[in-house]
Amino acid sequence: MNLELTEEQIALRDTVRQFLAEKAGVAGYVRPLLDDSTGTTDGVWRGLADIGATGVLVPHEHNGAGMTMVEAGVVAEELGAALYPGPWLSSAVAAARALVRTGADGGLLAGIADGTDIATVGGLSGHRPTANGATLSGELAAVPDVAAATVLLVIADGPDGVGLYSVDPLSDGVTATARSHVDPTHKLFDVALDGAAAKRLADAPNDVVDALTDDVIIARAADALGAANTVMNLAIEYAKVRRQFDQPIGSFQAVQHLCVDMYESVELARSGIIHALWAADAAKPADRHLAALRAKAFAGRLASVGDTAIQVFGGIGFTWEHDAHLYLKRLLGWSAYLGAPDRYLEEVGTELVSELDRKVLQ
Amino acid sequence: MDFSYPVEVEQFRKELRSWLSANLTDDVKDADRRRGRDPDAFDTLRAWDAAVADAGWGAVSWPQELGGRGATVLEQLVYAEETTRARAPVPLNVIGMNNIAPAIMHYGTDTQKRTLLPRMVRADDIWCQGMSEPEAGSDLASLRTRAVRDGDDFVVNGQKVWTSLGHRADWCQLYVRTDPEASKHKGISCLIVDMRLPGIEARPLVTLNGAADFAEVFFNDVRVRADALLGPLDAGWQVATTTLSHERAGAARLYAQIEVQLADLVADLAGHTIDDRPVLEDRGTLRRLGDLAVRINYLELLCKRSISATLHGGDALGSASLAKSVWAELGQDLAALAYDVLGTNERWVDRRLSTRSLTIAGGTTQITKGITATRVLGLPRK
Repeated sequence: MNLELTEEQIALRDTVRQFLAEKAGVAGYVRPLLDDSTGTTDGVWRGLADIGATGVLVPHEHNGAGMTMVEAGVVAEELGAALYPGPWLSSAVAAARALVRTGADGGLLAGIADGTDIATVGGLSGHRPTANGATLSGELAAVPDVAAATVLLVIADGPDGVGLYSVDPLSDGVTATARSHVDPTHKLFDVALDGAAAKRLADAPNDVVDALTDDVIIARAADALGAANTVMNLAIEYAKVRRQFDQPIGSFQAVQHLCVDMYESVELARSGIIHALWAADAAKPADRHLAALRAKAFAGRLASVGDTAIQVFGGIGFTWEHDAHLYLKRLLGWSAYLGAPDRYLEEVGTELVSELDRKVLQ
Repeated sequence: MDFSYPVEVEQFRKELRSWLSANLTDDVKDADRRRGRDPDAFDTLRAWDAAVADAGWGAVSWPQELGGRGATVLEQLVYAEETTRARAPVPLNVIGMNNIAPAIMHYGTDTQKRTLLPRMVRADDIWCQGMSEPEAGSDLASLRTRAVRDGDDFVVNGQKVWTSLGHRADWCQLYVRTDPEASKHKGISCLIVDMRLPGIEARPLVTLNGAADFAEVFFNDVRVRADALLGPLDAGWQVATTTLSHERAGAARLYAQIEVQLADLVADLAGHTIDDRPVLEDRGTLRRLGDLAVRINYLELLCKRSISATLHGGDALGSASLAKSVWAELGQDLAALAYDVLGTNERWVDRRLSTRSLTIAGGTTQITKGITATRVLGLPRK
């Protein structure tokens, strides 16, 4: 048992952190892209590719780094901490894992790794489109990063069972409409497919789709952890310097306890999320799935870190000018992603009861 | 990153599990449930502690020559998990073994170590710790019990409260004020006191659920030999904060214990109905159970991070004090759910009441949060 980051993982974290601080700060990069439907620029995307962030999960034979979800989580946490608004989760995690988990041909993986392709995945949840010959028809709700994507991967029902299909998002029969939601740093779209030309890449049996959904949930949890950790630290640093009644507000017990409440939520979440990242590649499917359910079930608690941070900031935290709301919105977006925490709490409760039932029967 | 245990640690688990299944009887588990209410139960638990020690399964983290088996940190973790999951009673001298023994090992003479410690593990002697006083609760360092040097003796006067097993104890690790002029942390000393000395009176302290696990202990001109001093004179605060460098897996008992309670709760909920519907199909109840299950799992993982950090030189942060307050809140929330659904069940009514102590004993949650805020988060002191 060793839960520490390796030197290699720490180096990866520091590289990503430094790159984002220099090239993609909140004021100079994220805020100007809040109203941009792609959330990305060529320069920063190329930079992410150059430091190896886009190919972290792509196997060596397709020119990727061949790393695990633990390393992807290290990158995701940094991107969440920086409120990075681009398509990294869609392309480097969702699409890369979709291709690897289904065993699809690797041509696209090389493009994902070197950043020349930006891919996203639709159809993980909700109704799936239907394949008819070489076309797809149907609706996809809340697909991330479609405007930035050069490739739209779709999980669809075909005559030979569920499959992974590739669609050109700019082709005829594809209509993407920006979807209004709480978090302007994550771009979501509703996509209508009406006889869109599609290529079947691989079979996508249920267990593979389940595993892929867990991967995406777990990586997004790491992103949210980064956002929560950062807004907590900003609030704590503020409490050390903001003076009222002739003393730093952080010397008041009431404020101290708010800070410790945030710290508790962040550290509990970190404990669960690093385990989930490890489990995504190393644990049995049932354990991996439970770890993903738990991460989602805890999302409401993690979002409350954003609430509490704003309380510590006081009035300034309630302004548009201050960044606190961007972090809260990132956390609320995570909380709502693929269903509210209540649903997942209930699922974890149901899993608990059936697990104990199984033990009694044994 | 690796969350799995090494093979040799799993082997240790297997040996322990098989010893427990062969030796831990229902009688012992039943006595554990009657702890604090029934004198016979006390004798049964004492015999159990001796059996555990004689089989080499007591105080596993201690060196062999003092009655332990020199277990590694991961073995200690597994020990806490397995004994808790098997519902083995917590040793009567748990406070002695966790809090007093480290100080004896660090400051005691060889004779003290060799005579006192093995008897502590076997529960041949029962130990209590005299710390809290009526006017020294959260502000422990303001304790007033005085020890005045008189020839070869100290003369002790004062009162302790919340002394676990004070009315049963043979020995007391007593914190006294030896220098009333010094600043409050600096004038305290630690004495090892024989509880049979004249002038000591221990009265059971009945708690809100009717149990008598604690005592008030009164010291009236008690003459204690000067060689009872543990550690240097006036260095009692350092003695009190001595931590056992080889006992680092205690946190495992926290999560294992609450996992067992959650399993007990689900077992009690099975077959229970509300409005003719099984309560385990009620969505609100499932959500509350799910919330507990997630937080308990995250507590377990938090504890493991803390242990990993000590093993591999990582940053342990404030995870130990964090784990304690998370555990306390979980214990209360679990009992609250049980009471809400199973109100009339005697065991859970008792638990609903007794868990109030979790956020008070061993440092209130508010004190703990203050310590985390200043020492871990670096917030300014007032």
